[in-house]
Amino acid sequence: MEISTSRSKKKKEIDINKPQFTVKEFKRQWILVAISVVYVLYGLLFYYLPLVGWIIAFQDFKYNKGISGSKWVGFKKFQFLFSDKTFLLVIRNTFCMGALNLIFSTIVAIAFAILLNEVRNKYFKKSIQTISYLPHFLSWIIVVAIVSDALSSTGIINDLLMRLHIIDTPYPFRAKEAWFWPIVVLSNLWKETGWNAIIYLAAITSIDPCLYESAAIDGAGRFQKMRYVTLPGLRPTIMILLLMNMGNVLNAGFEIQYLLGNGLVQNFSRTIDIYILDWALDARNLDYSLGTAAGIFKTVVSMTFIVVSNYIAKKRGDERLF
Amino acid sequence: MKTKKIVSLVLASMLAVSSFAACSNGDPGATDATTGATGDTQATDAQKEIVDFTMFAAMAGKEKDANNDIMEIIAQKTGVRVKETWLTGQSAGEAIGSIIASGKLPDLIDGGDGSVTLYENGLLVAWDDYLEKYPNLKEMYTDEEWDKFRMDDGHIYWANVFGNSYQYNTATGHNGEAFWIQNRVLEWDGYPKIETLDQYFDLLERYAKANPELPDGTPVIPYTCLCEDWKYYCLENAPMFLDGYPNDGCCIVNIDAGMDKPKVVDYNTTDTAKMYFKKLNEQYAKGNIDPDFATQTYDEYIAKLSTGRVLGLCDQYWDFAYSIMGPFASPLAATDGTEFRLDELGCDYVPLGLTAKAGMAQQWHSYDDELNQSSGCAVTTSCKDPDLAFAFLSALLDQDIHDLRFWGIEGVDYLVDENGLYYRTEEMRENWKSDSYKAKHTCEYSYCPQWMGMSKDGINRMQPGEQPSEFIEGLAAPLRKCFEAYGVGTYAEFIGSEIVVNAPWYPLWSWSNNISSDTPGGIAWKKMGETKHLWLPTVVMSKDFESDWNSYQAAYAECDPQAFLDEAQAEVNARLATAQSYGWTPN
Amino acid sequence: MIMADIQQISLDKIKHKKKMATEDLIFMIFNTLFLVLFAVVTLYPVLNTLAISFNEGNDAVRGGIYLLPRKWSWRNYEEILFERPGIRVGAKITVLRTIVGTLTSLAANALLSYILSRKKFLFKSGLSLFWVITMYASGGMIPVLILFRYLHLTSSFWVYVIPGMVSAFNVMVMRTYMLGIPDSLEEAAQLEGAGYMRVFVSIITPLCKPVYATIALFVAVYHWNSWFDAMLYNRFDPQYTTLQYELMKLLDSVSATTGATSGASMTAATANTITPVTVRAAASIATMAPIIALYPFLQRYFVTGLTIGGVKE
Repeated sequence: MEISTSRSKKKKEIDINKPQFTVKEFKRQWILVAISVVYVLYGLLFYYLPLVGWIIAFQDFKYNKGISGSKWVGFKKFQFLFSDKTFLLVIRNTFCMGALNLIFSTIVAIAFAILLNEVRNKYFKKSIQTISYLPHFLSWIIVVAIVSDALSSTGIINDLLMRLHIIDTPYPFRAKEAWFWPIVVLSNLWKETGWNAIIYLAAITSIDPCLYESAAIDGAGRFQKMRYVTLPGLRPTIMILLLMNMGNVLNAGFEIQYLLGNGLVQNFSRTIDIYILDWALDARNLDYSLGTAAGIFKTVVSMTFIVVSNYIAKKRGDERLF
Repeated sequence: MKTKKIVSLVLASMLAVSSFAACSNGDPGATDATTGATGDTQATDAQKEIVDFTMFAAMAGKEKDANNDIMEIIAQKTGVRVKETWLTGQSAGEAIGSIIASGKLPDLIDGGDGSVTLYENGLLVAWDDYLEKYPNLKEMYTDEEWDKFRMDDGHIYWANVFGNSYQYNTATGHNGEAFWIQNRVLEWDGYPKIETLDQYFDLLERYAKANPELPDGTPVIPYTCLCEDWKYYCLENAPMFLDGYPNDGCCIVNIDAGMDKPKVVDYNTTDTAKMYFKKLNEQYAKGNIDPDFATQTYDEYIAKLSTGRVLGLCDQYWDFAYSIMGPFASPLAATDGTEFRLDELGCDYVPLGLTAKAGMAQQWHSYDDELNQSSGCAVTTSCKDPDLAFAFLSALLDQDIHDLRFWGIEGVDYLVDENGLYYRTEEMRENWKSDSYKAKHTCEYSYCPQWMGMSKDGINRMQPGEQPSEFIEGLAAPLRKCFEAYGVGTYAEFIGSEIVVNAPWYPLWSWSNNISSDTPGGIAWKKMGETKHLWLPTVVMSKDFESDWNSYQAAYAECDPQAFLDEAQAEVNARLATAQSYGWTPN
Repeated sequence: MIMADIQQISLDKIKHKKKMATEDLIFMIFNTLFLVLFAVVTLYPVLNTLAISFNEGNDAVRGGIYLLPRKWSWRNYEEILFERPGIRVGAKITVLRTIVGTLTSLAANALLSYILSRKKFLFKSGLSLFWVITMYASGGMIPVLILFRYLHLTSSFWVYVIPGMVSAFNVMVMRTYMLGIPDSLEEAAQLEGAGYMRVFVSIITPLCKPVYATIALFVAVYHWNSWFDAMLYNRFDPQYTTLQYELMKLLDSVSATTGATSGASMTAATANTITPVTVRAAASIATMAPIIALYPFLQRYFVTGLTIGGVKE
């Protein structure tokens, strides 16, 4: 089909356009280079300079002594982290919840965007979309109250299951370890699907309408158009977002787990951020060095994910970040 | 070429950071300049120049309006106005850490659990010299008590402002823990004497069977229990009280061998503990315990209590009672269309001092003040005029200003009868319950030095809640009737604890609340907490109690509780030694 | 615009010519049903929050409120909008930062995206990597605080605008969109003698309306909802407070993570700090309202579609 040829053409173009460093080219681009320098200086100041703070992880940091005055302790903080069984547990939890969130939120948001795009009636479309992103603005405190209410022994879910005679007595969803991750993923989907779909909806508009036209002429049905026009059209956006979010897998969050967790599910609910809060930011410990060490660990893992997936994307000729 | 440049840039910036981070707190000029904006003296239209101070308390709280009535009056009298800021969206530690790093400290601070961090960073002003200068402050504690506040450099940096009685403790309430029960349940059974868990749960069960619904059709819950975060004490520490011991919080201190030979005992492994959890397990199986007890959040718990449907619970008074007063006093519609109020129905809770066996003495209530020396009100090094700050804190203890803070303005917030006794009308009492009224009118400066107990006038109490007449007036009719039926006048009398003088090490929770995880005992304490959070609700909900109890005990033993108990024992011994050095003897 | 309409019309004509397959019809029905169900599940809790926000406080604690308030009351809104100290200042600062912040951030992100989307740009990968790293590597709260303090950004309004101006995430989204614009447009302009900046302003920018709208929405929402920076950098400067920080003080007073503070020290004066669920609901609705009002204006750009000008590939 036409579409597949256009993709391979694009691939070739990239190769042709690979910039050659010449003085002439440099002079032609001087304005771009000059502006880039401003951006680099800005980035160095606000993003790279604070990274110097990482050396705190190798110290026993005291606020009043500053970075130069605090005692150096080498890898002690990292040793503590990796010798603590709980830390390994929270890594598992963070990673699994982050990965599940990434997978489901991406799929559902794309599906939602495509389905919404199929709606012909402008007002219906606008209303549904406006409704869909409202929960994004509810704070987790309120969302958790809603979720918790729905799952309680007298909540709507147990009520429904009992009326349908699937269960006889209320099922304690929130007391069961196995249910914690699904509840987090579903709550996240509920809260963010509409919001996440905004980018995809914007991207759909960038698809050349002629492609639909020619697909229709070729006799493509609705599903074929979704499959062969819309999805490939979204591909760059999907790839870029996936790539970027690969680095956020370890940022599974903190609020929902903190608010929804309880003693019974603690082995499945605690994330790295909660661990840091417990050990490093609790007033009695206030071990800022330990918190920094955990933060470095997170960054290193995230960057590894990014570099690896970017490499794979490059190999496959997909969009990439750098 | 390109990379080289970047590297050198990064290196240069590293140097820059490390050099300026070094002087972060060594430069008084910088900190002064930053507080200048808020601590500036501002000439007002009044005759006196009023200095604005800032205060941060590492607790949740409500801010006051800028033009608060009583705040202005106090400002006129003392020359100081304080803007209070509270904890939002951060843990206390995080807040204290970021305040320190930002280099912008308030003038006054209650660092809560972060107090020691503030001290270690050299950010607090020692009280020692000012104590001599301001007798009002000095008077708060005896020399022995002040010594308990001394840090390892020998100075005092803060004073705990709570639960400190002038002359003597006049508490009408029972602020501590108890098994609470709605007074209508007691009335229904003819005001029986309830002493044990068996009697307690039996009564709850019988009452719930006979009265399954409130007048508005809400089904009752015989018993609920909060297990959230640190408030799981509602579930876990009852065995300590059931064995007749006071609230040391983290363990039992056994004095069978004599007051001078205290021995620390773990209450988590006692027979009483097993008996108590077995009882809860049995009641859970019978459906007498709220099925959501293990997972409910504090919000849900309070919402549940507010409906009046919970007949019994175990908790400390302050944790639930203030929050349910409003809903209990507002009219509700019954199914038959009539109006009713929960407090008039007899839903107010009264405390029961249960014990493992009937007839035992118990110490659920402590009649003496409890001194928590681990945190308190402090003046920071950023305060431009520490002398003025201490003068202000001292002035807050002057009786007239103290009355303004807690009683309000005479004629507006309270009236005085011919004997000089303060009293309030119903409307005034309602006002003082309203958040919006409090925001624009009242100014307690609630984390600054204050008194409980007798007023200096010898007639009134320092705080209205302790004024006996106010206390009785404030009670709903069924509650008053219940008090009369048992022949008591206050909550403290109701619970009927043994009257003992506090031991020199009491309360030990002032130590365990602040134990850091630097030591084996501290790590054990943290692990014990995590294990109990997981296992205690599990054993209560268990279908096979014995085997789950054994698994729990095994998991618990793995946390090395002995390491913790050893440190607790050392702390008890140290506190005892300090008391003995002041001439304390076992009587 | 006109081109797009014409294309849309011709597209519809073709479709109408073809008989709508039953498969299509079934799909339409299911799709509509599904989206309605989705909307109901999404909307109900929001409407519930709205109902609670209009209910009297003590009554609401008892639960059982669904789509309509049981005891109607304006109190909650009065409390958050008129009785909160600092709410007016907060509102002013929030509006100001949303406007200034969104405009500057949009311009800064767009320009960087433009540079990174130039296929011939010499330092493309290097500069991309430089910014990608900033998404994941953070020095942490304390070093940032120390830095801002020495840049005199604390205790100022500019701390809201300057540090977060460039966001790598937004840049990547914009760049992806710009890469989709045919090179022929740029080449045509360059043949007529337009420089890079000219191409950016008069060729790229008009074509990027949908993505600009998306990013503007993201940035505006970010600014509208921000409160943590207000607390961290301007904690003791009430003149720079933000609306959400003021509301957060309400929302958060219940879930105070104060740790094991002595309970015995609580007295009536300090303990009664719980914010009623109704006030929290009102605060949530107040957060949502302006964004809901703003969205339809931006939504226009999402449905407009990209017109490929006069050039077709």
